[in-house]
Formats: sequence, C-alpha cells, structure tokens
Amino acid sequence: MNQCKRVKRLLSRYLDQEADDKEVIFVKGHLAGCPFCSEEYSGLLRIKRLFAAKERKVLPADYLVSRLRERIAASRQEEERFSLVSGMARLSLRLIPVPVTVIAISLLFMALTLQQRASEFSIEEHILSGDPTTIETAARVILQRTN
Amino acid sequence: MNEDSLYIERFLSGENSAFEALVRKYQNRVLNIVYSLIGKDRESEDIVQDVFLKVYHGLESFNGRSRFSTWLYRITVNTTYDFLRRRRRFISDELTIEKTASGYGGPQEELLEKEKQELLKKALGNVPLKYRAALVLRDIEGLDYTTIAQVLHCRLGTVESRIYRGRQILKQELFRWRGEAL
Ligand SMILES: [Zn+2]
Repeated sequence: MNQCKRVKRLLSRYLDQEADDKEVIFVKGHLAGCPFCSEEYSGLLRIKRLFAAKERKVLPADYLVSRLRERIAASRQEEERFSLVSGMARLSLRLIPVPVTVIAISLLFMALTLQQRASEFSIEEHILSGDPTTIETAARVILQRTN
Repeated sequence: MNEDSLYIERFLSGENSAFEALVRKYQNRVLNIVYSLIGKDRESEDIVQDVFLKVYHGLESFNGRSRFSTWLYRITVNTTYDFLRRRRRFISDELTIEKTASGYGGPQEELLEKEKQELLKKALGNVPLKYRAALVLRDIEGLDYTTIAQVLHCRLGTVESRIYRGRQILKQELFRWRGEAL
C-alpha cells in the first residue's frame, strides 16, 4: 500500500519520461504486479495521448505578420502624435514668460503715463498764472512737448 | 549562438524582418497554447497579436538569461491569464454539450473526430487554470518540467503535481460527459 502511494506520486514523471533510472525500474516493477496502479497508469496514459493528439490550429502564413505591421505602424503614429502634443505643451510652457513680460511692461508704462498726466504742466496755465518765466519753467515746457 | 539569438540581434540592429521571422517561427505554437487555455478562436488570435506586440516592444530589455522561447511562453501565459481575469469565464456553452454528447451512439461506437475534439475542449475548460496551464505546456507544446517551472514561476514538484492532478480532472470530466474516458 505504501508502495502504491509512492508510485502514484511518480506516475506523471514516469509518464512524461522525466523520471530517473532508479525511479523507472521501481515504477515498472510495481506496475507489473499491482492491478490498481496499473489501471491508474493506463488511464493517465490514455488521457495524455488523447490530449497530445488535440487538433492544432494553424494561422495563414502571413496573416499575423501583416496584422502586426499595421498595429506597430498605428502605435508609432500614436507615439508621434503624443510627442507632438507634449512638445507643443512644453513650448507653450517655455513661452509663458513672454506675455507675462509684455503685460508687466504695459502696466508699468500705463502707471508712469498716469503719474505724468497728474503733474502735466501746460504753457497756458503758466501764462495765466502770471509767474515769471525762468529757465526751469521753459525747460519743463519743452520736455512736456517732446514727450 | 542559436537561431533565435541571431534573429534578436538582427532585430535590435534595426532589421524588422528578423522580428517577423521570429513571429513566423513561433506563431502557431503560441496560438495553440492560447487556444488550448481559452478555447475561443477570435480571442485567441487577438491574444497572440498582443503577445507578439509585447515581444516587439520588450525585446530590447530581454536579457537573454533564459531562452527566448521560455520568455515568449511566459509572456503568452501571462497575457492569457490577464485576458481570463478580465473575462472571468471560460467556455460559456459548456452545458449544451453535456446532454448532446451522451446522445451520440453507445460507448462502443467511435466518436467522430470533430465531436471528440469538441468534447476534449469542453472537458479541458473545466480543469482549473493552474492545472490546465501545466498540462497544455507539457502535452500541447511538449515542454520539459524544468522549462514549465520557469514559465509558470513555480517549483519542479509543483509542476509535477499540477500535471498529475490536471490529467486526473480531465479524465473525470471526460467520463462525466461520455460515460467513459474516450
Ligand atoms: Zn500499486
């Protein structure tokens, strides 16, 4: 009985020619004298043969290669499209400082202009005020005009 | 250097035809492993395509420590497992064969080959996946136990017991439908 247990453990190895010489001798000897293990063995052998004779599928010669070519080309296009989009995203990130600078400069310019408006010095006001015309007031008028 | 390594080297140096040679060499072996595992034509072809796409994109990182075929079979089994995990089901029309199979003639009568194949497919669908995988790699692809252990990432003893259990379950399943183990 103990031997039967050991043989059962070895049966698939024996069946698949994976057993070593000592195991083969042991199993063969046991199978010759044990109808139970012998029946188990022939049942497994039948299943192995039946299964190994299972029908095999065959693909048309170039079918897979041409399908793969299509899919590889498609994935390459996808990759290129992705790299184009990400490239544009990177470029726009890099270009962000440009509008920011433009806006900052415009804001600064507007602020300066407003400030200047507030301190605008017109020649009419000067004449009406009756103040004496000094070199300083003349210079201010000239600067005002050229601005 | 064996044939596969030469193909790989040529592919990595830019020759796409070398990759296609590998595809032609292994396509039917991969197909039959997948088909025996899932039992469906269309899906099997899709999985085979996915397997070779993974090979195409992964060959650069293939380290050559195992044989190319072992690596390929590992990708094949894993891709099929992923598919089955998504599907969660094997052959859906399993029950329809149950009655019709026993309706054909007596045990003495020879089953038509097509019917026999159909029955085998259904029976195989009821063998749990881990046993089925070991069995398919052994009897359909003819791999030795050591290679099967590498492909399935398990110990040699595990391969042995899975194959043994797989055959026993297959025998029971065939018996259940046919009244004898064909
Ligand atoms: Zn015995």
